Amino acid sequence: MEVKEWIRGAVLVAQRDLSRFWRNIYWLAGQVAMNIADLVIFAVIFRGLVNPAFIPDYIRFITPGILCLAIFISAFSIGREVGIELRREVTQYLVSLPVTRGALVAGRIMGGVLRGFLYQAGFVILAVVLMSMPSVDKWILILTSSFLLALTMSSLSITLSTLTRDFNLQAAIRSLVYFIFFFVSNVFYPEKALAMRLGSAAPIAYYSPMSMAVNLYRFGFNYTTSVDVLFNLAGLIAWATLSLLFAYKVYIRNLTR
Amino acid sequence: MKSKAVEIVNFTKKFGDFTAVDNLNLEIYENEVFGLLGPNGSGKTTTLLTIATVYKPTSGDIYVFGHSVTREDYVVRKLVGIAFQEPKAMWIDKPYDLLTWHARIVGYSMSDAKKIVREVMELLGLWEHRNKQFYQLSGGTRKKVELAKVLIQKPRVAILDEPTAQVDVLSKHALWDVIKKLRDEGTTVIIATNDMFEAERVCEKIAIIYKGKLRAMGTISELKDSIPRGDVIEIQYEGSRIPEKLFASLEEYGRIETQSSTLRIYVEKGEEKVLDVIDLFRKNNVKILRIMVKEPTLDDVFTYITGAKLREES
Repeated sequence: MEVKEWIRGAVLVAQRDLSRFWRNIYWLAGQVAMNIADLVIFAVIFRGLVNPAFIPDYIRFITPGILCLAIFISAFSIGREVGIELRREVTQYLVSLPVTRGALVAGRIMGGVLRGFLYQAGFVILAVVLMSMPSVDKWILILTSSFLLALTMSSLSITLSTLTRDFNLQAAIRSLVYFIFFFVSNVFYPEKALAMRLGSAAPIAYYSPMSMAVNLYRFGFNYTTSVDVLFNLAGLIAWATLSLLFAYKVYIRNLTR
Repeated sequence: MKSKAVEIVNFTKKFGDFTAVDNLNLEIYENEVFGLLGPNGSGKTTTLLTIATVYKPTSGDIYVFGHSVTREDYVVRKLVGIAFQEPKAMWIDKPYDLLTWHARIVGYSMSDAKKIVREVMELLGLWEHRNKQFYQLSGGTRKKVELAKVLIQKPRVAILDEPTAQVDVLSKHALWDVIKKLRDEGTTVIIATNDMFEAERVCEKIAIIYKGKLRAMGTISELKDSIPRGDVIEIQYEGSRIPEKLFASLEEYGRIETQSSTLRIYVEKGEEKVLDVIDLFRKNNVKILRIMVKEPTLDDVFTYITGAKLREES
């Protein structure tokens, strides 16, 4: 089979997922708004948790976190659709098309990546306004981080959605993943606060893809210079690779009975 | 000599402990409209979905123009197009977008895709519904969208799973013509149906599947002829009774049923016996008001072969 054919199939599948994405744009806006509202409540009410001594400027601190949030919500939406399609057997239509299974899975994952990338774009502009304009090399780092995070989230969401056809269970798993990734990370709170709350378990948070991405964003938008770029980038690559392989295997296994 | 479009060899499909299809063997030849007839749950859809590579055989194999569905699934998908029993779309999808994307994925360029989609939508009376969302469409219109996918694709093997279910009678006739045209243009058509009239109207060959097993296969006339004494000579005569002598003579032809002044004789090759029957009535001075020879229906064939009534089973 020609590579050209494979790529064409994957691109068209991704294009389909992207075109559907715009139909849910208001739903996604609502999701982001609700999450940001939660953050503001955290920031304003739980002053002890977000100690001004640790973070003097919470808005600038949290802006890279919102970039992660935008990627999570938008890239994860692909899993929601994959789940609905499995339940309603629309998947049968997809697997009957003249596309290889590999191209189909790749297209779906890329669909999620593109959703994350595009949806985040507006928030990236906001970050430039609220923080600072990155240099060219830092732009490359930011875009690479976004790509890897979107790839991780898209793959994970597809994996989780195909593990069970029970909608309630899917929603619960999604919430659990959100909780683990965001609350056990330094997206909302600084490392000092994490160490205080989690004690010796705090290092777990450093291995969260959200922590890694947010560290790279904070470095990219010049919020901080004390970031181990290599560790965080390598970590994100590892997350993306493992998630991708896992999604590929699980989705393919569930596509054909 | 026609080549084999689809060859099903010892095909079995199990879902857990349930055997949906049990050791099925079938050959479907190029350029014919082949019907799979059976009640719901008989294994028709499972067979069709396996031909379309949606399912994998538990054992055995299926070949489409010589390509195995298990080893060359991608090649098979390039040869096969399917219109599903339940339309496969999300409720917010719009027919035009759905079909345009379908045209693109089956190989059309964007400009050609737009052209063929419009052509097919107009042919099926779907154009006015093009921008409605799927949930706004009637069941029959959704089925037409499914059929449109196959017409756009023009595959070498078209699989139509109950293509006219939920479609109104007028549209049914139009769709049957469309299906025949598809065949005339070089596509082998496989139809799953439990509508006997549809099977008689469009299929050249039929396989009867019941409880996952193949029970009979042949042309419609072959299947009908397979029922011993399947033809019925129905006579409406003057008066309320017929002479005993005439009744005894008629009994020699086959089993008789009477109801008021109507008499039914179950015979083999009714068209050959009807003249003799008329002659017997004339000799016994009983006036015939109306006489007709009826062939067995596919329902009769199904009942004879499976011992079950197709309509009741469905």
